[in-house]
Amino acid sequence: MSDEHKKESAAAEKKAPLHGLLAEYETPWQLLEAAKKVRDAKYERWDTFTPFPIHGIERAMGIRMTALPWFVLAAGLTGLTTAILLQWWTNAVDYPWIVSGKPFWSIAANVPIMFELTVLFSGITTLVGMLMLNGLPLPSHPLDLKERFARATNDRFFLLIQASDPKFDEVRTRALLDETRPVVLDEVLEDRVTSDRMPRGIIYAIIVLATAGAIPLALAAKARFTKSRDTRLHIIQDMDAQPKYKAQRQNPVFADLRAHRPDVEGTVAVGELRDDDHFYTGKVNGDYARTFPSQVALTDATMERGRERFGIYCAPCHGLAGDGDGMIAKRAEYLASTGRGRGMGWVPPTNLNQDYLRQQPVGQLFESITNGVRNMPAYGPQISTEDRWAIVMYLRALQHKSAAK
Amino acid sequence: MTSKDKDRTPHSSSASPKGEGSESDVHVLGDEIRPGPAVSSLATKAAGVAVLGLGASVVLGMLENDGFRRFSYAYLTAYMWGLAIGLGALFWVTLQHLVNAKWSIVLRRVGEILAGTAPVLGVLALPIVIPAFLGHDILYPWANHDRVHADHLLHHKAPYLNPTFFLIRFVVYFAFFTLLGRFFLKQSLAQDKSGGVEIAKRMQRVAGPAMILFGLALTFCAIDLLMSLEPSWFSTIFGVYYFASCVLAANSCLALAAMWLHKQGRLTRSITVEHLHDLGKMMFAFTVFWAYIGFSQFMLIWYANVPEETFWYKERFAGDWATVSTALLVLHFVVPFFGMLSRHVKRHKKALAFWAFWSLAVVYLDMYWLVMPAFGAEGLPFGPIEIGALVGIAGAVMAAAAFGARKVKNLIPVKDPRLPASLAFENI
Repeated sequence: MSDEHKKESAAAEKKAPLHGLLAEYETPWQLLEAAKKVRDAKYERWDTFTPFPIHGIERAMGIRMTALPWFVLAAGLTGLTTAILLQWWTNAVDYPWIVSGKPFWSIAANVPIMFELTVLFSGITTLVGMLMLNGLPLPSHPLDLKERFARATNDRFFLLIQASDPKFDEVRTRALLDETRPVVLDEVLEDRVTSDRMPRGIIYAIIVLATAGAIPLALAAKARFTKSRDTRLHIIQDMDAQPKYKAQRQNPVFADLRAHRPDVEGTVAVGELRDDDHFYTGKVNGDYARTFPSQVALTDATMERGRERFGIYCAPCHGLAGDGDGMIAKRAEYLASTGRGRGMGWVPPTNLNQDYLRQQPVGQLFESITNGVRNMPAYGPQISTEDRWAIVMYLRALQHKSAAK
Repeated sequence: MTSKDKDRTPHSSSASPKGEGSESDVHVLGDEIRPGPAVSSLATKAAGVAVLGLGASVVLGMLENDGFRRFSYAYLTAYMWGLAIGLGALFWVTLQHLVNAKWSIVLRRVGEILAGTAPVLGVLALPIVIPAFLGHDILYPWANHDRVHADHLLHHKAPYLNPTFFLIRFVVYFAFFTLLGRFFLKQSLAQDKSGGVEIAKRMQRVAGPAMILFGLALTFCAIDLLMSLEPSWFSTIFGVYYFASCVLAANSCLALAAMWLHKQGRLTRSITVEHLHDLGKMMFAFTVFWAYIGFSQFMLIWYANVPEETFWYKERFAGDWATVSTALLVLHFVVPFFGMLSRHVKRHKKALAFWAFWSLAVVYLDMYWLVMPAFGAEGLPFGPIEIGALVGIAGAVMAAAAFGARKVKNLIPVKDPRLPASLAFENI
């Protein structure tokens, strides 16, 4: 500070009104005693300043329990509710999407978010509420102008009674503080020196940061309302582009430019020779076979294999007994009954224990599995020929069983 | 100055027991810190209760005529509850040394005495361990040689889950628990005589490695005694789940022990509402921690939906067990969460005692939920056998602690250099 400046501020201070009276003590015990006196004199706008926390100061000052815990409880419950509603709305209402076979809205999956938002809301409320209840941040205070007051961060203990206190009376308050035997009892004047304006540097920094922060938003907005022929930015390649040829693509290596090579004429690939109609198509001389082909062993082992494959491939729709009441069918019925299946086409799976199916030759059942029927897709590519026959065998057993009931 | 003022000034060193003999320390504290006749009478009474409870349970178990199967399950449930107290106290003492805690010094001797129950708990485990070692599958299916050979999974797990190795592990765990408990108690008692910072530092140095070993021992102990009841099931978080119960049970017991000592006119000035408040905080924290860990274990299994993991929960979500599962969630988390949330509850002796008893009760419910479904009975088996076992184990732990307390001279470590800080401790 230059001398001129000092004079100026001294002049300004002289004109300033009284902010309060500041008492300075050498020990925390003196401060505690003084605080009790001020408390018992029923002052309201006053405070103490110490270099370290003093146990019991809150009682000596008569500070009541803060209301902050209630704010935090309310915020925590709000966070919990927000998490529940947010996940219910997004997962069950706005964009229902089945993830790993779980219900649209499953509490178990939502608990982590419920926990996080409860903690987040509580934590932020604790911090912001503490700052607000304490009147922080406080950029400047009349005490900042007192040089002696700097010792509040080092080795002295202060007590300030503000002039704005309804009980404040310059003479009587001074007498009260005098009784507590402070080292120094001093007047504090209102601050008429420090500018109220925010420093320019901070204003510029806010403008620059706000502008920079708006750039991504502006880019997102632009992308939302304009069209582009460019491909998307492909930052993480994963294995999206692989140096290989796919079926039906061009390959300049071959004269016919076909990447997909046809079999060499007059040859059959290993395992592709299907010269047994009965076994591979379920037909004998163009009619459906009524017997099992010789390749299928009519044993318990085959039956067990058929039961297993039936459970994997058929039971989800047709049910474990083949009655057409598998889990998928039940779920579809449930959705339809609750009105949630609107807009979803659904043909119920066939009951395999109907008479016309009981009378079908095994060859026809085999063909239905292989090539599919009506809504049911072809299972030939998924299930081996032996296993399809084993399923037919097991299905026949199921049909016999239901007929016997 | 109002009567509410405690007028405890900061940096007050008037309570500091510096350098003098222990007699004058007692005088300076102005507090009754000897165990006294009440502890002796508690020891004999509790031992009597233990004998009566366990005796009744054994006799009734014999009348069941099922080769002590029902009794074994009831006993294991109660035993794991008792073990939680002992191990939780051992963890608590180790933790205080590890972090150089000052607030808890006035409670530490009580913790050391509770942790000293480890050898008694080791003996109490024998009815569980011996049959398994002899190859009886009353509790543990893997103990039966024939069953192991018939079951592919058990066969694969046999290098770990077999009677001999089980016994070896059991001996190692309890030797470690006993030695660690004795070490802390002996050093602490030695400090009562000689004083000085050196002993405190030595205990802190040991606490670090001891904590690592304790974590491993507790984890495997929980896996061996509880998880292997259904040996095809596995959960890597299981040890931590049991640990949560241990800490909750131990802190509840510490609070109850402190309040009981107050009633006997002991430590009335040393242990203040501030220390009880902190124990309450720990109880609250570990109620939440238990739920956190329990849910972590559940969610991964629920999400992955793999049959070899889900069957364990399926057992517990079917029939009457569904009621127990729901009760566990509500009584072990929701109710105590809101019950113990307030600062005023934790600073109110009667309220804190209520929640300490509550916590001990729900830890038992948790153990019941962990153990009993493996018993495989229709409905929920709970009757005089279970109550007898629980009363017996509670009596045995209490008797072990009281006999331990009778042997010490002072109920607080009078020459710990951090004692003044603990006496002057205040929550803001």
